[in-house]
Amino acid sequence: MAKPGTVQQSQRRFAYSIMTPIMIYLMIFSLLPMIWAVILGFFDYSPARVGGSWFGLGDTNPFVGIKNYVAMFGDSQPATVFRKSVYNTFLFALLVLPLNLAITIPLAIIIERSHVRLKGFFRAVYFLPTVTSAVAVALIWGAIYNPQAGLLNSFIRELGMVPPKAWLTDPRAYVMGIPLAMIALIITHLWQDFGYNLVIFIAALQGIPQNLREAAMVDGANERQLFWHVTLPLLQPTMLFVCVMTVLSSLQMFVLAQVMTDGGPREQTTTMLMSIYQNAFRYQNMGWAAAMSLVLFGIIMVFTVVQFRLLRSDWEY
Amino acid sequence: MATSRSIPVKQLLGTSARYAVLGLGLLVTVLPFVYVMLSSLKTPSEIIKVPPTFFPAQPTWSNYTTIFNDPKVPLALFFFNSIVVAGARVAITLFTSSLAGYIFARYEFGGKGVMFGIIMAQIMIPFQMIMIPLYLILVQLGLIDTLWGLIIPAMIDAFGIFMMRQFIEGIPRELIDAGRIDGASEFRIYRDLILPQLSAPLASLGIFTFMATWNDYLWPLIVITTHERRTLPLLLTWYSSSHGSRPSLTMAASVIVLLPIIVIYVLFQRQIVANAATTGFK
Repeated sequence: MAKPGTVQQSQRRFAYSIMTPIMIYLMIFSLLPMIWAVILGFFDYSPARVGGSWFGLGDTNPFVGIKNYVAMFGDSQPATVFRKSVYNTFLFALLVLPLNLAITIPLAIIIERSHVRLKGFFRAVYFLPTVTSAVAVALIWGAIYNPQAGLLNSFIRELGMVPPKAWLTDPRAYVMGIPLAMIALIITHLWQDFGYNLVIFIAALQGIPQNLREAAMVDGANERQLFWHVTLPLLQPTMLFVCVMTVLSSLQMFVLAQVMTDGGPREQTTTMLMSIYQNAFRYQNMGWAAAMSLVLFGIIMVFTVVQFRLLRSDWEY
Repeated sequence: MATSRSIPVKQLLGTSARYAVLGLGLLVTVLPFVYVMLSSLKTPSEIIKVPPTFFPAQPTWSNYTTIFNDPKVPLALFFFNSIVVAGARVAITLFTSSLAGYIFARYEFGGKGVMFGIIMAQIMIPFQMIMIPLYLILVQLGLIDTLWGLIIPAMIDAFGIFMMRQFIEGIPRELIDAGRIDGASEFRIYRDLILPQLSAPLASLGIFTFMATWNDYLWPLIVITTHERRTLPLLLTWYSSSHGSRPSLTMAASVIVLLPIIVIYVLFQRQIVANAATTGFK
């Protein structure tokens, strides 16, 4: 056997021989794009123009300082659409979160208490939509929402009620101030996504020691008190995680809106990510789109930090 | 007596109400899947009938045969594209994650902490922030409109590295020492001693990566422009927009895209659900 020193050296050499290419890779495909995104935000850049010699920046793709960011508050048509998309994204995320929790927490409690065999079965079925292709889901729900031949409107007619004229395309249809198309997207998103939070809550409930519930029952607590004063506080750490992940994924909503409504009617369902995609790849307006993507990044960071602050808890058991 | 009799009744009501809720949830979850399968068996005229039927009056496979025989849609080709991309991404992710995870778990070298921090920071970077420059980089590399363009930007998975490191830290050091005494090279210790221990977490990571890649839409939408290089989700949207007048074909195409994932899910359901519950990553 070789001396310990040389063994260590050969180990170090092996470690560096693997880590060096990985670090170089990350510089090219992760660090460089991040810096580039920040730089692009300060340029009026389009890949359709040749521009300067250095990454196509400068010349016909001029440096414009913070003009892209200032323009977001202006009256131009892209700025109006952008602000609309910020509003839509927030509306979507803020409606999805409480609705998702209102479905998944009670359902998790019910499943957790049912028979062992059934528990696994229900959990498995409820989780199925989360693994399926969002494009296929969007197309299926598009057919369900079809005003004439769709399942939903014919069901509403069966009930003797008057269904909406169109779920996804009527710009004048609102329910409580929320565009109907947005509601349709939220329903589809909840359907596809709820199983994910559900299994996390079920796992968390299984982690709550039984003796805490029993102690509360001995003290005469009823089901409702048990839920509000024992179960819910103990779910708090899980809740934090679930809220952060749910809001993050809602803020990056893309596929359903892109496929089901293409942002319509009248930009009522255009999300930020859709707006970024359209500006960058349809209109080739990449400087402007990069600036928007940094705003979205900022919003995501703020949401994450705020939620950690708000929901942090010191519960231990 | 009265109270002891009323409790079971109340309990029974509670139990049946619970199962009613579970049953309703089941119906809502399953209905769209049943609906798309039944719709894919309807004739072109039946699917646009008002009021709509739920069960096909004359079930037919014609939508499927039409898709399979459509010269513009060589389905095998699109399956091939999706499988090549998903297969390559799974293989590369499993290799890089297990190798880097092993090094972070069992090696000491200068800059280790910083490197690990850099890799973990990847988890925090939302894809939408880097997608525009990433596109420009692929243009420079000449990888736009190639399947490589879908594979190369996804070769390092921070979450996979983290997961493998956690797992490898649980493998006894004696195993590695035994390998060293036998004079095995560092790479052989990884390949012959570590890798065989990792079958469970590698399977989880592999399934997860496969499903994410198979369903991926935004990045292929940006990178792929030629019809023949589309992956299945892209084919699906193209199909629905180019065959808008025949929704039964779109429904059949949706079933074709959904089926492989549903089969994998049925086979590995336990693992997939447990994975989501414990790691918390989609």
